[in-house]
Amino acid sequence: MAAKGGRGVAELETEKSENGRKSENGRELMLGLYRMLVKCRMCDEKARILFRQGKYAGNFYSGVGQEAAEVGAAYSLREDDWIAPSHRDWTSNIIKGAPLNLCFAQLFGKVTSPDRGKSTPAHMGYPPIHTITPASSIAGQLAVGTGVAFGLKRLRRDTVVISFFGDGATSLGGFHEALNFAGVHRLPIIYVCQNNLWAESVPLRLQTALKDLSDRAKAYGFPGVSVDGNDVLAVYDAATKAIARARAGDGPTFIECKTYRWYGHSEIDPAKYRMKEEVDAWKKRDPVALFEKVLRDKKLLNDESKDKIAKEITQEINEAVEFAEQSPYPDASELAEHIWAQE
Amino acid sequence: MARTITMIDAITEAMAQEMERDERVFVMGEDIGLSGGVFKATQGLYDKFGEERVLDTPLAEGNIIASAIGASMVGLRPIAEIQFADFITPAMESLVQQASKIRYRSAGGYGCSLTVRICCGGGTGGGLYHSQENAAWFVHEPGLKVVMPSTPYDAKGLLLAAIRDPNPVLYFEHKKLYRTAKGDVPDGDYTVPIGKAETRRRGRDMTIVTYGYMTSLCLEAAEKMAQNSVEAEVIDLRTLSPIDKETVLESVRRTSKCLIVHEDKRTLGIGGEISAIIAEEAFDDLDGPIVRITGPDIPAIPFAPPLEHAWMVNTDKIVAGMEKLAAY
Repeated sequence: MAAKGGRGVAELETEKSENGRKSENGRELMLGLYRMLVKCRMCDEKARILFRQGKYAGNFYSGVGQEAAEVGAAYSLREDDWIAPSHRDWTSNIIKGAPLNLCFAQLFGKVTSPDRGKSTPAHMGYPPIHTITPASSIAGQLAVGTGVAFGLKRLRRDTVVISFFGDGATSLGGFHEALNFAGVHRLPIIYVCQNNLWAESVPLRLQTALKDLSDRAKAYGFPGVSVDGNDVLAVYDAATKAIARARAGDGPTFIECKTYRWYGHSEIDPAKYRMKEEVDAWKKRDPVALFEKVLRDKKLLNDESKDKIAKEITQEINEAVEFAEQSPYPDASELAEHIWAQE
Repeated sequence: MARTITMIDAITEAMAQEMERDERVFVMGEDIGLSGGVFKATQGLYDKFGEERVLDTPLAEGNIIASAIGASMVGLRPIAEIQFADFITPAMESLVQQASKIRYRSAGGYGCSLTVRICCGGGTGGGLYHSQENAAWFVHEPGLKVVMPSTPYDAKGLLLAAIRDPNPVLYFEHKKLYRTAKGDVPDGDYTVPIGKAETRRRGRDMTIVTYGYMTSLCLEAAEKMAQNSVEAEVIDLRTLSPIDKETVLESVRRTSKCLIVHEDKRTLGIGGEISAIIAEEAFDDLDGPIVRITGPDIPAIPFAPPLEHAWMVNTDKIVAGMEKLAAY
């Protein structure tokens, strides 16, 4: 499936990726995207199982079904670029390069987590790779991420920010304030809206009168595009263009990825408000399976290489879960640490 | 060299000198650039430093603070202005969920060093929405420092300390003091430590704990009561968070009586917290009840002059409180 108005698979397959964090050729890029899709899917499903097994408390906010949006958008970021994730973007840390050990320790609230057990499960950031530890307040990270882009522009860096958020976040006042400001100052930020049609249990028709959320970008004076959020190449194509634009100092882009959340808002939400037919239809458009087919058609993937990838990731996940389980909780003496910076 | 200048000039001077000294420092807010601020606190800065460092922002308080937080996360030192404390409410998410908690929730991985200058206070006919103080809201949020100067000297020194502090600092400035408070201010560099109260008057008979604009009224009241041989000690908190408990407790232990005076509303105000600290830690030293003279529990300061007058704490009300306490 080709990106709407963008480059086709064949072109991507043969091109040298200019934005890539590694200088990957087309084949490596395709396989890299696939591997990351599978990794995000497997980690997310594992995180759900672990929660249901009672291995950690709190909650988990699954992004299964939305992997193509997340991977396609963030895959080509450089190490010094930033991500402002929301509660559903735990896997954005994985895409940006966080070790899985830390990702699972974060869910478990262990002292080995980057936040030493302070942040809520899945609300993960990791400073060495510039992912911002998110608050739960919707659109909060969007505002702070815009601020980071503002700072980067002032420092005249060619570094960019990706802000991840859902359709629900577009209704908040802070969303308007941030995008308006980003437009005024042509900030180096890419707003990636994962429109999964449901803000917790509120359907899109009660969220907005718009058909395409990317239309909002017009009001802020920068480009907005709506793409098939289950087509990783479509998202990748839109994102690399937006990233290049931001890096060149030409300002923000709004990318609406039309996608779907397979499970509830969180693990304690059975999502009975959705029609089974709707869920099933979207599951038939599984972003991982769709891309697998592309690779098989191109003879880039077969049963053997697919199994090999899955096995390698499984082993990595098992080791990470083991690490998380073995890690201690923070000592109660850490309760009052990290409130103030030392002078 | 010290000269006698107004509080507003001390504030402007602090910003100008720090921007000169540290190129990471910049100011942003509504009407602060081309017009120099509605109270002229940033007058001259735009001409001197240009638009990039003296930035007129869109009318969006939440984004002013969020932008400042993000900019500080990449190493800059923003000074954000909130034109009136009354209009800080759109920035509650940014201040309370982001600025105060980002260091904690990331276990020190991220932090923000920003100064928020907030014009506040009544007694100037500003009406409901140009008179509120609202500082107490933020004292309830660990992770935010809150200061409020009462003199030009402290205004400059606390502002320089706030800008250099690696934590978010909310710097409340009372609009009534901008041009009425005059005092000696060194023209060079100095800071006033955040977290340290200042004893403005020594006295043995009672301790008055106050801050901001009320400090001068408490000093007037103390002089009046001195004529009746009641010698009050007047403590200017200067920093509302973290509160300098030691200075307050040391004084109360000596005088055995405490009067707390603030302009802001009464219930759950700073006075409530000071009272609790004294009750918990100096109960045995008290010879009388803790007395509070504060603004009333009325939504905001109304416009009509008699109503505003009735709302505001004044010297007479403070003297009445002192007389009540002196009777014990």
